[in-house]
Amino acid sequence: MSLNYLVIRLAQILPTFFLIMVIVFVLVHLLPGDPTSALLGIRATDEAVNRINEQLGLNRSIPVQFLFFLRNFFQGDLGDSIVLKVSVTSLIINRLPVTLFLTAFAAILAVLLAVPMAMLAALRRDSAVDGAIRTGFQIGLSMPVFYIGIVLLTFFAARLRWFPVGGFGTTFGEDLYHLFLPALTLAFSLSAVLMRNLRNGIIEVVNAEYVDFARAKGLRNRLVLGRHVLRNALIATVALFGLNIGTLLGGAVITESVFAIPGVGRLMIDSIYGRDYPVIQGLTLTLAILVSLVFLVTDLVQASLDPRIARR
Amino acid sequence: MTAAALPPGILGQRRVRRMGRGRKSLYVGIAIMLVMLVCAFVPELVAPYDPLAFDYNAIMHPPSLAHPFGTDNFGRDVLSRVIWATRIDMQIAIFCTLFPLFFGTLVGAIVGYRGGWLEAIFGRLVDLTITFPFLVIVIAIVAVLGPGLLNMYIAVSAVGWVFYAQLMRADVQVQRQSEYVAAAKVLGYGEARIIFRHLLPNAITPIIVYWMTDMALDILLGSSLGYLGLGAQPPTAEWGVIIADGKNFMSTAWWISVFPGIAIVLAGVGFSLVGDGIADIFRRRR
Amino acid sequence: MAAVAQAALASEVQPLLAVRDLRVVFGHGEAALTAVDGIDFEVAPGEVLGLAGESGSGKSVTLRAILRLVHPPGRVSGHVLWRGRDLLTIPEDELRRVRGGQIGVIFQEPMTALNPVLTVGMQIRENLHEHTTLDAAGRKARAIELLDHVGIPAARSRIEDYPHQFSGGMRQRAMIAIALASSPKLLLADEPTTALDVTIQDQILKLILRLRRELAMSVVLVTHDLGVIAQTCDRLAVMYAGRVVETGPVAEIFRKPRHAYTLGLLNSVPRAGVMRRPLASIPGQPPLLSNLPEGCAFAPRCRFVIDACRQARPPLVEVEPAHQSACICHATVAAA
Repeated sequence: MSLNYLVIRLAQILPTFFLIMVIVFVLVHLLPGDPTSALLGIRATDEAVNRINEQLGLNRSIPVQFLFFLRNFFQGDLGDSIVLKVSVTSLIINRLPVTLFLTAFAAILAVLLAVPMAMLAALRRDSAVDGAIRTGFQIGLSMPVFYIGIVLLTFFAARLRWFPVGGFGTTFGEDLYHLFLPALTLAFSLSAVLMRNLRNGIIEVVNAEYVDFARAKGLRNRLVLGRHVLRNALIATVALFGLNIGTLLGGAVITESVFAIPGVGRLMIDSIYGRDYPVIQGLTLTLAILVSLVFLVTDLVQASLDPRIARR
Repeated sequence: MTAAALPPGILGQRRVRRMGRGRKSLYVGIAIMLVMLVCAFVPELVAPYDPLAFDYNAIMHPPSLAHPFGTDNFGRDVLSRVIWATRIDMQIAIFCTLFPLFFGTLVGAIVGYRGGWLEAIFGRLVDLTITFPFLVIVIAIVAVLGPGLLNMYIAVSAVGWVFYAQLMRADVQVQRQSEYVAAAKVLGYGEARIIFRHLLPNAITPIIVYWMTDMALDILLGSSLGYLGLGAQPPTAEWGVIIADGKNFMSTAWWISVFPGIAIVLAGVGFSLVGDGIADIFRRRR
Repeated sequence: MAAVAQAALASEVQPLLAVRDLRVVFGHGEAALTAVDGIDFEVAPGEVLGLAGESGSGKSVTLRAILRLVHPPGRVSGHVLWRGRDLLTIPEDELRRVRGGQIGVIFQEPMTALNPVLTVGMQIRENLHEHTTLDAAGRKARAIELLDHVGIPAARSRIEDYPHQFSGGMRQRAMIAIALASSPKLLLADEPTTALDVTIQDQILKLILRLRRELAMSVVLVTHDLGVIAQTCDRLAVMYAGRVVETGPVAEIFRKPRHAYTLGLLNSVPRAGVMRRPLASIPGQPPLLSNLPEGCAFAPRCRFVIDACRQARPPLVEVEPAHQSACICHATVAAA
């Protein structure tokens, strides 16, 4: 992977950022639903409405409003929460780490689940083991996140009392313990997607000529499978992993609701109930930018796995 | 490759056996779909009780002969609620995908056929769409428009068509170079005729396969929004809503939430089996 | 048949590799297809044996079967005797020591046989890691030496390149370097030049011959190209529909083929040193393995065919010292 490639990818991400901001702006400003009346309630006086409009720049033309929005964003100002009366930026900074921790934890669990299972299913293709693994993951894929969450919560937390029912701890270890069930909940569908893709990838690669060639070299099976089969099959799966991070963040919104975890997902749902537009806007923006950054990282990982990409 | 060194058809027997298995899962999928469709179209004939009728003499009864799925905290029959909810959830599957299916396919065909700057713009749009977590953008749109099924359909449609278009575009792009399109052009056929009569039918199978997957995903999405209170509104029987109703009673009355969950899984598996089956038949025909 | 071959060899040197009644079957029961149908051959030390035939004749499968590289659903039976051990039955661990260490393999298409995401150096080093006691620095030095030896210019600077950064001919050289890293005694080459330009082909063949001399190894060269055989091989085995139909010294077979199929093959390519005459292709197609004729598999395409050819499979018989043919009409063919 060359430095050039990194620079090109970084340059490519800037227009994406800009477009993300346009979309989010359009979403909140052009769709029906009026932030001012939400802010003041319907019995607001004209004077108060004007004052707020002035304050938010809502009486300017749309392009000017967008410029305000841009300028504020680059100053780290996403406006104030209508309900909580604090700045959206500080809210997000407070809540985001929890969500990031949960999502990363889930992503790791998903990979830990998917890779060995895919390996097993692919190498025992069309056997009973393969069938069981595929059926199991297919069911996991067909289960809504909140349902998995409720079932795990009831069984492992409420009934068996192996895990706490919610919240998170004060140390890293406690965090892991508290967030294990939510992370597992979240990991299910991602691991199903990854497992299916990786299984098919391995089946495709395992009969490749270079795998035969590696065997013909007398390499031990572990090396043939690890270095030649899995590594090559993983390239496509890494791309898929990146593409699914968005889905994972979406799932985090639901998981946080089920397990009462105070992350940005929970904040998002609360803000919808409270019609807290600045928060919704800020969160949507943050999550989209986060996803595009993950795409960037995935691309870089992929390029480091596959030399053909970076030099293309 | 060993197999490649052999004449075609050398592995024929194996293929035949596999096809048998593929067919079986397709039939299972179709059977599940049929049950779902019957429940969706004539729930009144299938459901033993009124899904909304309270029965204070049968509150939170466990599954029994009278109430195979038990009753909920208002004494409503869970089986009947699950059956009536099928109508809502199938409706979600259809209404969330109808516009994306037609509009996306059309746009994809045109973009793929014309190429050029249309393609460049579309490419950016795709990049942008996948950048927003689907659920987050749908929730954001629902937040602005207000909770409810109609607004959910609007939100999903506004984003979902891009995926159909991308799929279609990729396929048409490949076909654009094919000989039969060149032949059609030489014959002087118009653009519309080439797109509708030639390109669309040839590229429609992957679209239909994706449509199946998409419907399954939209049922998951719809029930999730129902669960969060942003989709179907209580007391409407919708699988997600029923699960939300029962979640506080999971320890004492698990049946309220568990059965609608199984229904969701069944629907999802049914759609994927049908989708895989169609894909399989298509692959073999090629 | 094995006895005949053994008798022929009794007077000669002990073979390095002896293949006995090798059979590769795909599928089961009614639908079973026999890709390789009980073939025997041996390779003497330092010898280059050519395995010729059209695609589908079973020559590549044979080569892969020697090192147990046939994928399921293919099943291999018979014996592959290597230094007195049967490679088809020895435990995986021992087989691994033979693979790459004592027997090297190169494939037809280096683009697909080299792992696209590992450097060429890495792919050489992993062979050395398995079969030698060299340390990391030693392996690296040896890898550079090997690349240099197979004629890759500036080997030191190319060692960390990826296969896609090499040209076709260079890739084939790199693959040879990998296969020969641990100085094997036998090289199995599956159509090593088919994917290359004619000028490069010649270079690669010369390279293989040079390395054979230097390493005192034997080579089994699978090819459909009789020109390649003429240029490189000492002995030739011609395969048709999964069987060896003729085997003997290359010069003799080229001068006087004793099987109608071999004659057909030879007539379909221009040959130096033979009176010029129009090229004649063999009519018809090779038979499907699923639908082999009763008697000689070549009978439907044969211009010498007599009734006896269609009755039973003709066995491989000695027609001249060290020269065997499975053609009933071998005398007529020789006279033609």
